[in-house]
Amino acid sequence: MKHLLSFGLAFVLALGVIGCSADSPESSSSATPSSTPSAGEAVKVGILHSLSGTMAISETSLKDVVLMAAEEINATGGVLGKQIAPVVVDPASDWDLFAEKARHLITEEEVAVTFGCWTSVSRKSVLPVFEQYNQLLFYPVQYEGEEQSLNVFYTAATPNQQLVPAAEYMMREGAKKFYLLGTDYVFPRTANKVLKAFLKSKGVPDENVIEEYTPFHHQDYQTIVGNIKKFAAGGDACVLSTINGDSNVPFYKEFANQGLTSGDCPIMAFSVAEDELRAMDVPPLVGHLACWNYYQSIDSPSNREFVTNFKKFCAKNNLPGGMSRVTDDPIEAAYFGVYVWKAAVEKAQSFDVDKVRQAVYGLEFDAPGGRKQMDVANQHTLKPVYVGEIMASGQFKIVWQSDGLVKPDSYSRFLHPDGKFPPPTGGPKKVSTSKK
Amino acid sequence: MKVRKLVPTGRYVAAFHRRKAVLLAVLLTLFSLPGLAGQGSFEELGLELLEGTEIETQRSSLDTLLSSGDRRVGPFLKAYLGGDIYRWRGQYVSYYVDSHPGEQVVLLDAFERSPRALNGKPLRATVSELGIPLSPPRRLRRAIQGAVRVFGLLSEYPKERLESAGRLGDSRDPAHITFLEKALSTEADEKVKYTLTESVAIIRLHHDGTPYDARLESARLLGEMKSLRAASIFEDLLKEIDGAGGTTASDTARKVYSTALGRIESYEQKVRVLGYVFAGVSLGSILILMALGLSIIFGQMGVINMAHGEMMMVGAYATFWVHEIFATYLPESFFNWYFVASLPVAFVVAAAVGFVTERLIVRHLYGRPLETLLATWGVSLVLIQAIRLLHGDNSAINNPTWLRGGAEIFHGLVLPYNRCFIIVLCFFALLAIRVLMNRTRFGLRVRATVQNRDMADSLGVRTRRVDGMTFALGAGLAGVAGYALTLIGGITPDMGQNYIVDSFLVVVTGGVGELLGTVGAGLGLGLLNKFLEPSTGAVWGKVLILVVVVVFIQWKPEGLFPPKGRVADA
Repeated sequence: MKHLLSFGLAFVLALGVIGCSADSPESSSSATPSSTPSAGEAVKVGILHSLSGTMAISETSLKDVVLMAAEEINATGGVLGKQIAPVVVDPASDWDLFAEKARHLITEEEVAVTFGCWTSVSRKSVLPVFEQYNQLLFYPVQYEGEEQSLNVFYTAATPNQQLVPAAEYMMREGAKKFYLLGTDYVFPRTANKVLKAFLKSKGVPDENVIEEYTPFHHQDYQTIVGNIKKFAAGGDACVLSTINGDSNVPFYKEFANQGLTSGDCPIMAFSVAEDELRAMDVPPLVGHLACWNYYQSIDSPSNREFVTNFKKFCAKNNLPGGMSRVTDDPIEAAYFGVYVWKAAVEKAQSFDVDKVRQAVYGLEFDAPGGRKQMDVANQHTLKPVYVGEIMASGQFKIVWQSDGLVKPDSYSRFLHPDGKFPPPTGGPKKVSTSKK
Repeated sequence: MKVRKLVPTGRYVAAFHRRKAVLLAVLLTLFSLPGLAGQGSFEELGLELLEGTEIETQRSSLDTLLSSGDRRVGPFLKAYLGGDIYRWRGQYVSYYVDSHPGEQVVLLDAFERSPRALNGKPLRATVSELGIPLSPPRRLRRAIQGAVRVFGLLSEYPKERLESAGRLGDSRDPAHITFLEKALSTEADEKVKYTLTESVAIIRLHHDGTPYDARLESARLLGEMKSLRAASIFEDLLKEIDGAGGTTASDTARKVYSTALGRIESYEQKVRVLGYVFAGVSLGSILILMALGLSIIFGQMGVINMAHGEMMMVGAYATFWVHEIFATYLPESFFNWYFVASLPVAFVVAAAVGFVTERLIVRHLYGRPLETLLATWGVSLVLIQAIRLLHGDNSAINNPTWLRGGAEIFHGLVLPYNRCFIIVLCFFALLAIRVLMNRTRFGLRVRATVQNRDMADSLGVRTRRVDGMTFALGAGLAGVAGYALTLIGGITPDMGQNYIVDSFLVVVTGGVGELLGTVGAGLGLGLLNKFLEPSTGAVWGKVLILVVVVVFIQWKPEGLFPPKGRVADA
C-alpha cells in the first residue's frame, strides 16, 4: 500500500513536470478552421494562442480580439477583396505543440500570416518553423528583447519601451533602492539583467538592488514580503515586479496584509494589466503601479469605440465575461497587428511574404490607443509609454506618459554597450519559395 | 572634528524654510485658534485642487489650505487622496452606505462632509452612477500625503495617529520635529508615543544640521528602543565615517552608532526567527488542511484520490458563488458575512461532488488502485474543464474586510489576520475530525470498516454507505481547504494542481491515515520550508524540500507515525 502511495506521488510529480500540457488533452484536438468560405474568396490567417493550460488565462483574450479584427475587416470588404478566414488552433500552453501547430498552419492550412504566442518560450519554439518556411508571425506581447527575426513582427514593447522608462520613473519619484522580483523564466531573468545594467549606469550601488525569483505558481510569499519589509524599512524603496500569472494574487495580498502600502514601497509591475486585474482582489493593489504602452482608460474616441466593440463582441459570442471584459496592452497589440498586416498587404498589393515584409517597415497606422508606427530598420513598433496607477475599479489611472513615440531597440544598449548587435535571422531563402 | 557638513546648502535651506513656515503656521493655528482664511475660501481652494490643471497653482492652494487651519481641510484631503470624492452632476460628493432599498447611498458634500439634501430629503444615488472617483495628480500626491499626515496626528483614532507619526519620521524632514514633539506631549497611547519618539530621533539622527551631542543622544535612544526603522540610517552613517577616515569625534560616534546598530540587529534576529516560526506554522496549517481529506480517504479506504486538488478548487468556487450572491443580492453592509456563510457551503458542495464521484466511479473500482488513480485523474480533468467553461479563467474574490491587515504583536512582527484565521480553522478542523472519528457512531463504523470489512459487514454496518460517506467527508475537507485558500491566493480552474503535490508530500511523510502524522508532517514541512527559504531562495527551497522528503522516505518508508498491528496490513 505504501508503494502505491509513493507511486501516486511520483505520478503527481511527473504531471507537474509535464506541466499543463496534459491539463486538458480534450481541447487540443480542436484544431479546425472556425469558418470556411469558398476558397477563391478567402485568405486564411492562423491564430496560434493557447486556449487551455496555464497561459489560457491571458491568451484566450488575444484569440478573441484577433477574431474580432478579422470580422471587422470582413465587414468592410476584406483584404484585397478577399475575406479573411481565421484558422484557430490550440497549442495548449505546450511549447513543443506550438511548433507543431505552427507547422500545421503553414503546411496544411497554408495560411498567409499567423498571429500568436504569448510566452517567450513559445515564440522561441515556433521561430525556427517560421524561418524555415519564410512565413510571418505577428507577436503581440511585451518581451525581453535580444531577438531580431525577419519572420516576426513584434507589436508590443521592447525593454527600452517598458522596463527602462518605468525604472526612470521610479527614480524620479525618489526611489533609491530596488527589489527586483520575478517568476523564474526567461523574461524576468533577461528583464532584470537589463534593469540591473540600467540601474548601475545610473549610479545605484549594488547593495541597493536585490534580485529574487520564485517558481511558477508560487503561492507562499511570507518570506519574500518579510524581506521586502526589511529592505523598505528605511524608506525610498520600491519593487520592480516581473511576477507572472497566478502568483500575483498571493503576492499582493501578503504585501498588504503584512502592513505594507504603496506609500511604504510601491510595486511597479510589468506583467499585471487590466485583464489580470479582473482575477484579483483589487483593494490590496490600489496605488501600486504598472508600465505599459496602452491602457483601457486612455480617453480618446477611437479607444472608447474599441473598448465598447470588444465588450459587445464578447457578449455577442457568449464568451465568458461578456460585457464585463476589459482591454489591455497585449489585446490592443494583437488587434492592431491584424490591421498592420492588412495595410501592408494593401500597400504591397500582394500576399507575398517578402513584399508584405517590405511594406511593413515604416508603416504608420491608427491603433485604438493612438497613432503608431512600425520601425523602418527593425521588426518592432514605435509606441508611447505610460505609467499607470491601479484604481479601485480595476482600471489604471495614467500618471505619466512619454513624450511622443519611443523608438524600439531590439537589442538593449545596456547589455551591448559597444553597440554591436547580432545580424537579424530568418528572411527570404535562396532555395525555398514562400508559400503564397 | 566631524567631517560631515554641518550647514545645509542653499536650495535645501530655501525649500526647508518655505515648508517650515507653512507647517509652523499650521501648527500654530491648529493647536490654538483657527486663523482667518487667507486668499480664497476653503471651497474655492479645494475646487482648485480638484479641478486645476497647473501643478504650481494647485501647490500654492494646498499651502494656503494648510495654513488656513480650517478643520475641514484634513478630512477633505484625506477623502481626496483615498479616492473617495466623485464628480456627480456637476457637484463634488462622497457617500456613505445605509440600508436603503435600491442600493442607493447617501451623498455627502465633499467639502463639508455632511449629507447633501434636496427639498429636505437626503440626496441619493447608486454607487455605479457615481462613476470613477477623482484622485490627485501624482506630482501633488506627496504634498497632499504630507498634509494628510500632519492632520492625521490630530485624529481621534490611535491607528491613524500611529501611521502619521511613522510617515512623518520617514520623511526625515526636520520641519516635522516641532510638530511631532507637540503631539508627543499630549499623546496617551503607548504605541503612538513610541513611534513619535522614534520618528523624532530618526529625523535628528539623519539630519546633518543636528548638534553633535543631540545626534549621539538620538542614536543611543534609538538603540535602546531597538528601532528597526533606524537600522539603515546607522549603516549609512557608519559607512560614511569609515569612508572619511578616523578622528576622535568620529571614533566616539562610530562606537555609539555600532552599539546601537548591534542592539537593533540582535533584536531583529529574534523577531525574524519568531516570524519564520509563524510563517512555518501558517504554511503548515494550510498543508494540514489540504492533506487532511486526502489522508482520510487514503487511510480509511485505500483510494488515491487524484481529484483531491479539484475538490479543493470546487470548495474555492463555492466560496466564490456565495461571494457573488452576497455582492449581487444583498446590501453592502452584509457583504462580509459571505465569508461565514460560505464555510458550510464549501464543505457541502465539495462533499456532494465527492459523494457523486464515489457513487459513479470509485465504487466500481475498489481493489484496483491503479485504475482508481487514473479514473480520479480523469475526474480532475473533467472538473477543471467544466469550471473553465463555466467561469472562464479568471475569478476575483474580495476578502472580508475584517481579515485584511494584521496584528502587530511585537514591535516589528505583524501577524496577518488571514493567516491567523487559517491556523484557527485548521485547529478546529482537526478537533472536529478527532471527535467525529472517536466519539460518534459514524466514526465507529468507519473504524470498524477499516479494521475488518467482512466482520463489520456481518455485524450490520452498511460498509458501502460508510465508504461513500468517508469519501464525501474527505472531499468536504478539501472544500474547506479551498475555502481557506481564497484568503491567500487567486481562484483559477487549475488551482488544485498547485497544491496536489504538496498534499501528497504531507501524506507520504506523515504516514497513512494517521491524524497525528498529518499534523506532524504538515507542520514539519511548513517550518522546514520557511527556515530553508531565506538562505536558499524560493526556487531552491522547493527543490530541497523534495530532496529531504525523498531521503526521509528512504529512511522511514512508513512515514512519521506508521500504523501498527493488523490495520497496517489493510
